[in-house]
Formats: sequence, C-alpha cells, structure tokens
Amino acid sequence: MCGAPAFPDREGVIEVKQLTKRYGRARAVDDLSFTVQPGHVTGFLGPNGAGKSTTMRLILGLDTPTSGEALVNGRRYATLGRPLHEVGALLDANALHPTRSAYNHLLWMARSNGIDPVRVAEVLEQVGLAGVARKKAGGFSLGMKQRLGIAAALLGDPGVLLFDEPVNGLDPDGVRWIRDLMRSLAAEGRTVLLSSHLMSEMALTADRIVIVGRGRLIVETSVKDLTERYDSLESAYLALTAGSVEYGAAR
Amino acid sequence: MIASEWLKLRSVSSTRYAIGAAALVIVLGAVWSFYVGTLADARGSIRAAAPEEGFLPLVQISLALVGVLAVTAEYGTGTIRPSLTAVPRRRALLAAKATVVAAATTLPALAVIFITHAVSHLIAGDRAVGYNAGSFGDDLPLLLGSVLSVTVLALVGLGLGVVTRSTAAAVGSVVGLLFVLPGIAPYLPQPWNVRVGAWMLPNLVPQIAGERISTRLDGLLPPAAAVAVLAGYALVALVAAFLVFERRDA
Repeated sequence: MCGAPAFPDREGVIEVKQLTKRYGRARAVDDLSFTVQPGHVTGFLGPNGAGKSTTMRLILGLDTPTSGEALVNGRRYATLGRPLHEVGALLDANALHPTRSAYNHLLWMARSNGIDPVRVAEVLEQVGLAGVARKKAGGFSLGMKQRLGIAAALLGDPGVLLFDEPVNGLDPDGVRWIRDLMRSLAAEGRTVLLSSHLMSEMALTADRIVIVGRGRLIVETSVKDLTERYDSLESAYLALTAGSVEYGAAR
Repeated sequence: MIASEWLKLRSVSSTRYAIGAAALVIVLGAVWSFYVGTLADARGSIRAAAPEEGFLPLVQISLALVGVLAVTAEYGTGTIRPSLTAVPRRRALLAAKATVVAAATTLPALAVIFITHAVSHLIAGDRAVGYNAGSFGDDLPLLLGSVLSVTVLALVGLGLGVVTRSTAAAVGSVVGLLFVLPGIAPYLPQPWNVRVGAWMLPNLVPQIAGERISTRLDGLLPPAAAVAVLAGYALVALVAAFLVFERRDA
C-alpha cells in the first residue's frame, strides 16, 4: 500500500498457480491453483495434512516450491522490499521468544520494515494486550499469543492478510472478536485468507471458500453456493473431503 | 535491519547472562591476582600466567554462545519464520545478524580482557609476579589477538548455528574446535603434530603475539598468517552458513 502498485489490477490478489511442493516422495501441495480476491474473507479449509500450512509458507516465500508459483500483488513474496507493509501473516502463535517482551517482539518487526514505533503501541491496544506489553511472551496463554500474532500481522497496515488457525485457544469473547476483526478487515477492502477447522465459525466469518485435500484443490466457491447445495458448510465440507482424510478413525 | 537484529539480541535474557558470565572473568582475574600476589610476597618473585589469558576460554565460550543463540534460538522458538517473513532477503538478514553478533561480542570481550589486564596489574603493583614482566606495549598483541579470537568464535558459533539449527550441536562443535581438536593434535606423528597444532584455534592467539604455543610447542605461523588463519575460521563458517541459509526451507 505504498506508492503506485506495479500491477493495479492485481493489487490485493493472492494467486496460487499450479503450485507443487514435494518433500521427498510426498506431495504436500500438488498442482494447486486458486485466487484470493480483496474485499472478502476467504476461508481455507481442508483435513489435517491437506497442505494448507505448506501453501501459506509457499505464499510467504518461506519454502521454495518444487514447481509453479505463488504471487501476492502480482509479485513473488521474496521480491517485496518491505513486505510487512503489503502482507501480514500469522502462521504459528507459539513462534515467540519466551524471554522477549510482547512490545519488543513487535518492535524488532517494526524496525526491520521501517514502521513507526507508534504503530506498535497502536496494534497492542487494538488486540487488547497494551496492559501486558512489557511482560515476557513466554508467560502468555495461547489466546494471548494469538492476539500478539494478530498484532504482528496488522503492524504494517497491510492490504493482504493470512491467518493460519487464529481462533485456537481463544475464549468465546476472543472468538467473537476475531470474527468481527476479520469481517471489518475485509470490509475495508483488504484480502483475508483464513484457515480454520471450526466450520460453524467459518460459516459466520467467510464469504468465499477454498477447500483442499491431499494437496489438491477440491472446490473454490462462495459460502452461499455451498450452503445452498448442502444444508450447512459443515455438511458440505464433510461430503467434499470424505475421500481426502488422511488421519481419521475408521468409519 | 541492523537496529532490528540488535533489538532481538539485547531483548532476550540469554544474551545478558552470557555477557555476565564473560564478565565474571574480571572477578576471577582479581582473585587470581590477589592469590599470586600473596605467593610473591612469600617467595620474592614468581612466574604466574596472566589471568586474561588463563581465563580466556571462559570468555570465548560465553560469547560464542551469544553467536550460537542469535540464530538457534530463532529455530528453537520458531521465530525464524516471522524473521524471514519480515525480511525475505536472506543474505541481508544473515549479514545483519553477523554484524550485530560481531559488535555485541567484540565490545564485551575488549572490555573484559583489558579490564582484567588492568586490574591484575594494579593488584600486582611492583611485585614481580611474571605476567607483569613486560610493558603494556609488549602485552598488546596478545590482548588484541585474544579479543579477535572471541569475535571469531562468536561468528563461528553463528555459522554453525545456521548450519545445524541446534544449540547443542553448535555449542558442541565450538567446544570441539576450542578444546577437543587442540587436545588431539599433539598426538599426531611428527611433524604433523606441530603443523596441525599451529592451525588449531586456541593456538593461534599466542602465535599472533609471536610467542610459543606452549612450553613444549614452538609457534610455526608468523603473526600475520596466524591472524589470517583465525579470520579464516569465521569466514569458512559464515560462507557455509550463507550457502545453506539461502536455499533451505524455513
């Protein structure tokens, strides 16, 4: 969101194109293509091991694809100069140094991307952690760590946001807060890609849905479409992924 | 980016503990100096080792740990992912880490080694305790060589930390370079014991000062070559780190 975008029509768009990631012989992501548009919350669903987290890591340039590519704002993530201004991500809320304070955790990020330290106080206030800003992150509950991770994603005021399971560990107040936050971020015209296993919550939060199984795309559609064809998002999910569950009890 | 890495390093308690452990050498050096002072009073004169040299391994290990943890703590806690998300240019990130580690270990090493030297001379006074036989100018190459060895070990620790992603493996390798390999070298058949021994990391410091490696072992490398070999340890570890870090999935 700084300066004129290089590709105006691709501003805020996440494009996953024929993306494949192999680890040894296992295909974590297998010829996966989908597009995430701005202005919506897009739910990213799939059974455990379906490749959701791997796809997010590939979008963020943390892992190198075996083939295919993932683009944000029309560019590969690794080529972004100050990426936190364009993309915010929460992958793992536990990725914190236990003896570093919440404030310092956000401040090193701010400094690495030339973000005004004032933003650190702002996002801490926004996620409700201002009172424990100077406390060591090691003492935080999972819910507090999720809030800190969300603060980190919002730090650079990015147009594109990725959240991997942000609801885990939050109390009912927190779950409601996340839902409202996701919807308001999308309403501001941002792109929100959100993974979760909580179908009822996803039905309330997302407008668009991407479902993957065994690394492949199962469906890319709207929540409305799915709930019309099946009676609920949960039924739709269970029917569509029935053949792709890798780790499940015998039925 | 340097400011960001500097904040990362100073905002965790392990860095403070490691520098504190290195600073303990000042206290140990003072105790040693008092002890040899009383011996000198009793015997007239003695030949005691300088405490900043005798306790140098403690400074080296403590501050090498700063280099190791600068990166293995990131892998251990998972913060390597937010780090690479914030700075996807990996070479730049590692270069910033190396710069910060070099500064954050060289300055404490300089302070600890020179303060220990000064305190030990103050305590010795005009008694002949051996380590105060030469002038400050005579001691300077050894003092600076000692500081350089700490910087090199911290960078070697950083490099091994990147390659192994494990605190235990990286610290183990540093201990190997500092204590195990130099202990094995003398048992090689002649003349390899001297040739290999001269390249061992702890033996480079006396060679930088143009001194004998030990009472039994002469130096082999001229001072400039010893400096180059010492720097070479850091260079090799960092080149390996850059090659691995550039390509590896995080």
